[in-house]
Amino acid sequence: MEITEGVPPVINLTEVAEREKEEFEKKVSELIIEFGAENLLACMQCGACASICPLARVGFEWYNKKLIKAILIGMKEELLDDPTPWACVACNRCTEICPRQVAPFEVMFAMRRLMVEEFAIPTLAIEGLRSLYEHGHAVYMTGREARKKVGLPEKPPTTDSDEKALQDLRTILKNTKLAELGLIPME
Amino acid sequence: MPKIGVYICHCGENIAGAVNIEEVKKFVEKLPDVVVVRDYLFMCSDPGQEIIKEDIRKGLVDRVVVAACTPRTHEPIFRKACEDAGLNKYYFEMANIRDQCSWAHWHEKEKATQKAKQLIAAAVAKARLLEPLEDRYVELNKNVMVVGGGIAGIFAALDLANAGFKVYLVEKSPSIGGNMAKLDKTFPTNDCSACILTPLMVEVANHPNVELLTYSEVEAVEGTVGNFRVKVRKKQTYVDWEKCTGCGACVNVCPPKARVPDEFNEGLSLRGAIYIQFPQAVPKKAVIDPDACISCSGRWFGEEPRRTKDGKPILAPCEKVCPTGACSRDEPRDPNGEIIELNVGSIIVATGYRVMDKKYFKEFAPDSPNVITALQMERLISATGPTEGKLIVPSDIPKYLDWKKKVEKGKEAKLEARKPHVITFVSCVGSRDERYHTYCSKVCCMYMLKQAMLLKEKYPDLDIYIFFIDVRTPGKDFDEYYMRCRKLGIKIIKGKVGGVQRLPDERLLVRGYDADLGKPVELISDIVVLATAIEPNTDLKDLARKLGINVGAEGFLRERHTKLYPVDTMTEGIFICGCAQGPKDIPDSVAQAKAAASSAMSLLAPGKMRVEPLISEVNPEKCTGCGICAPLCPYGAIEYVEVDGKRRAKVNEAKCKGCGVCAAACPSKAITLHGFTYEQVLAQIKTIARKGIIEEV
Repeated sequence: MEITEGVPPVINLTEVAEREKEEFEKKVSELIIEFGAENLLACMQCGACASICPLARVGFEWYNKKLIKAILIGMKEELLDDPTPWACVACNRCTEICPRQVAPFEVMFAMRRLMVEEFAIPTLAIEGLRSLYEHGHAVYMTGREARKKVGLPEKPPTTDSDEKALQDLRTILKNTKLAELGLIPME
Repeated sequence: MPKIGVYICHCGENIAGAVNIEEVKKFVEKLPDVVVVRDYLFMCSDPGQEIIKEDIRKGLVDRVVVAACTPRTHEPIFRKACEDAGLNKYYFEMANIRDQCSWAHWHEKEKATQKAKQLIAAAVAKARLLEPLEDRYVELNKNVMVVGGGIAGIFAALDLANAGFKVYLVEKSPSIGGNMAKLDKTFPTNDCSACILTPLMVEVANHPNVELLTYSEVEAVEGTVGNFRVKVRKKQTYVDWEKCTGCGACVNVCPPKARVPDEFNEGLSLRGAIYIQFPQAVPKKAVIDPDACISCSGRWFGEEPRRTKDGKPILAPCEKVCPTGACSRDEPRDPNGEIIELNVGSIIVATGYRVMDKKYFKEFAPDSPNVITALQMERLISATGPTEGKLIVPSDIPKYLDWKKKVEKGKEAKLEARKPHVITFVSCVGSRDERYHTYCSKVCCMYMLKQAMLLKEKYPDLDIYIFFIDVRTPGKDFDEYYMRCRKLGIKIIKGKVGGVQRLPDERLLVRGYDADLGKPVELISDIVVLATAIEPNTDLKDLARKLGINVGAEGFLRERHTKLYPVDTMTEGIFICGCAQGPKDIPDSVAQAKAAASSAMSLLAPGKMRVEPLISEVNPEKCTGCGICAPLCPYGAIEYVEVDGKRRAKVNEAKCKGCGVCAAACPSKAITLHGFTYEQVLAQIKTIARKGIIEEV
């Protein structure tokens, strides 16, 4: 097993707690609650969410249950560089299964918001945002030649091929916090 | 000729799963004098009993053999069924084909079936020789002794006293109150322990039907149900309790050299050789600990005082300061105290528990003063504790006490005790551990959560970690309590701590494992609280031996039946409750105490008790007066009398418990144990030895 970057083999809880107290303005758990995971503290680490989480199944490090535990003990730096929250497919099964109404999905998304706030966004996510702004698709297909070969128009019949819709979308995006952050060029 | 009916119980699958009932039936039908053989799914159920009753009423049978489970629980049920149908209930015999047959040979069905046949044949062989017997009655003494004055003993005593029974409440410490008096608050409602306990202590002490015997221990117990004779040793207090008003003047003047760890504060502070157990003690009386007293005035009790040059007697400080003369050393005192004799009909044992000392756990740095047991933490946060509830690290308690002394004397002083920032709790210390105790101590999860909650609510900046193996909260409102703790931000980590290291600055390095993150964790903590196991008191085994009751492998008192007779013991008339029976919380202890009181009441209320006639009888014509039997009798039930000018043994029917020792030992077969006569037992043995073939008489 490779040692995960960012998390040492032994977690020093004293360091984690002191950093949380001295360097951050607020506790990580407080931030996550503010960002939408209101019932975070009710988690009892039963693991039901992880049992059905696609992220856990494909081997992402900080899937729902572990992410919540790390937040509860005050870890933050270790989590910021991790791509897991951006891989969440928002299937919402965790929220349905949770016996404590923690809504782990909300924790995942609150973590995304925290990462954005901290400018700790993986290239993967920035590419997605750029693509969303340019084409109206967060995940944009590159196989244009393949479309042509099978007799399809080069661009799909979505925002991508509808100039007005695309302009509307860009106007919307420019009016969100995304513009303030300046993560992607928006002319 | 007797007409024997044999009734075979399936016990659901318990017997029928291993024993071939049909085969057994065919075998039993051919046994001599057997006229009816029937089987049923549950013979003890109402329809099952009805089968037996019907056969008796119709005159089909006049002896009943039930082949089922254990006579320990079910013999009385079937005897009653026989009696209800008009048959003398001692015309009943039971063959246990479950506990020692089907269960023991579950995977050997043929052997189990063969064994069942033999056991039933033996029972039939005995049944042919049964004789009708009549019950006898003994008078019951209506007084009750309750041993142990903790919350369980107090409740048992109060319930009995309120019902009009005279109660002797025996407590080994100077005050009643027990461990609960040491607690700060109680889960799951966070009631102040003293606020709910001390009024009860006063109530029981002042109750007209309760005689309080504190600083006393049970010395010896004789007799049996309804008529126990108990010797209680009232230990020497060295203070005249008639005169002592509990003013506490003596306590303050006892010199520093005579100070020893204070039991009430779990050793976190010192007390004098003369001390009052705690400020809310009931009775509030001082005692002198003779092992700690240094006789600072140079004389012991009863000795001539030393004198000053001008001839004035030199008195000990405690003696000098006592306003009532209760501490006078003029009279000699018997170090053995006095023996008080009590006659009681029933005894309730509620001697409680102690917590394991931290010294056993070398891996948790027990030599550090900042590693404490949870009971010590209880004292540290209690308003009656060594620091009046002020939270400081235990290693600085001496600093606090010095400061307090200075302030009390009116001096200016600055308190330089360190406040903790991080507190770590470690669960299952000595519990669920093959090296110490295999059982779960049951209350630790909840009291750790309680202490963490109290601390966090009072000091929100504290970082609190609780390391658990499992969080066990199976009680009313308990899991909700646990959730409250989580929501307060108390950090709960799944995984037991493996090591604690004492650091030079008296902080502690804690090494644990976070099973949720799958990684080892470590932290520096100011205080480490060990949830050490609840143990039976050291002298519990000794007391159990005196009372003739059983202790289990783990050292707690054993109940007669876990489910059906949870507060009864194998000795009739003796009941148990509280933590002496096993670890439990306050609500369970109180419930058991009330159950024990109610059991004692229902036993004693009628004033007399029916006793089985299964006792020994001496045939004076065969007895030679040899003297072998009397010394063997464990109940002192055999005496010698003159019969026609000759010495003969005689059994005291009130004392005989029917153990059969005398009958087995009598060389002239002059003693008959009714229900187990020589002929009956021999017929059983012979039948089993002949693999189920009954010898014709």
